[in-house]
Amino acid sequence: MAVVEEDVVAAEVDSSKRSKDLFGLGWRPQLAAGILLNLDRVDLVEVIADDFFKAPWRERRALRTLATQLPVTLHGVTLGLASSVNVDRRRLDCMARLCEEIVPLSWSEHLAFVRGGGIEIGHLAAPPRCDETLEGTLRNLLLARRVVGVAPQVENIATLLDPPLSSYDEATWVAEIICNSESDLLLDLHNLYANASNFGFDPVAFISRIPGSRIRGIHLSGGKWVGRENDQRILDDHLHDVPDPVYALLEEVGARTEPGLTIILERDGEYPPTEILLNQLDLAREALARGRARKRTVVFREAAA
Amino acid sequence: MSATLESFLARVYVDQDYRESFLRDPRSEAVKAGLSPAEVQAVMQIDQVGLELFAASLQKKRQKRCAKTDALKQQ
Repeated sequence: MAVVEEDVVAAEVDSSKRSKDLFGLGWRPQLAAGILLNLDRVDLVEVIADDFFKAPWRERRALRTLATQLPVTLHGVTLGLASSVNVDRRRLDCMARLCEEIVPLSWSEHLAFVRGGGIEIGHLAAPPRCDETLEGTLRNLLLARRVVGVAPQVENIATLLDPPLSSYDEATWVAEIICNSESDLLLDLHNLYANASNFGFDPVAFISRIPGSRIRGIHLSGGKWVGRENDQRILDDHLHDVPDPVYALLEEVGARTEPGLTIILERDGEYPPTEILLNQLDLAREALARGRARKRTVVFREAAA
Repeated sequence: MSATLESFLARVYVDQDYRESFLRDPRSEAVKAGLSPAEVQAVMQIDQVGLELFAASLQKKRQKRCAKTDALKQQ
């Protein structure tokens, strides 16, 4: 197991002490040049941690160099924390070593299961939202916190499939995890928008269920409608621009949170010119600012009353 | 969710033959997989539209990964 200097790392990753929102992009080789040429408009990058678990020394050195140029967050995709089965300790150890090496602003994983019975699903799968997965997730988050030294932020996932055996709605299940662990929420607003559209719930009500102080990160992305004409669903494919309803949700987040969020735009293919992505970051800045202005208005009205 | 249900769902999601067999006779496959009575009931009512869409998206991802691996091998 990697030995992590808990206090040092904890001080680095405690985003709650930061008073400025940071806007950035998911780090992808195809976007690297565009990001490095526009550091005045990109505050941070999010790196897929798993890509570096077994990476050659040179690649890890390049990542360390990147982390000296701008703040980095690490994002896991294969831990499978939301499971009744214990998280794979070797993968957690890899995450711990990488966090120790890179000293990221924060690290995160998804509320998903990714394997079962030796079968790798190859993507994030929504677990049944029931007591067993709730307990298993909390157990895994405790272990992750202990091994890595800092609790991960946890991300709500998009799903095309309403998971069977669910006794909780998604908002309750996620809120239970956040309120019963040290993990803050990395709120993926396109995932929320997709699930709300696919399964008919109110995304703003979902946001209201999470204490604003526990929302520390935001993901933005785009997707597309798939399926038969009479039963279409949104696939979160990260291949499209951020749709307007997602900016509207970001405004709602702004009205409920304090500055200090990290906002990451994710793009995994069909890459447009960098300027298009930077413009989407600007739209995100504007949406968050509108929300924060609403919040200030409410505070002033309350103070005046 | 038991570990058995997790294994069952993983197989249904990625194994096309198994999925087709399950969709033809959900109860039989679920019982054979060793699911509890409550889990059998739950998977019998699985969201079939969502299941097919999710399985299709997984297959597409696998194909993309294979194409990428092949391209790397050819370099």
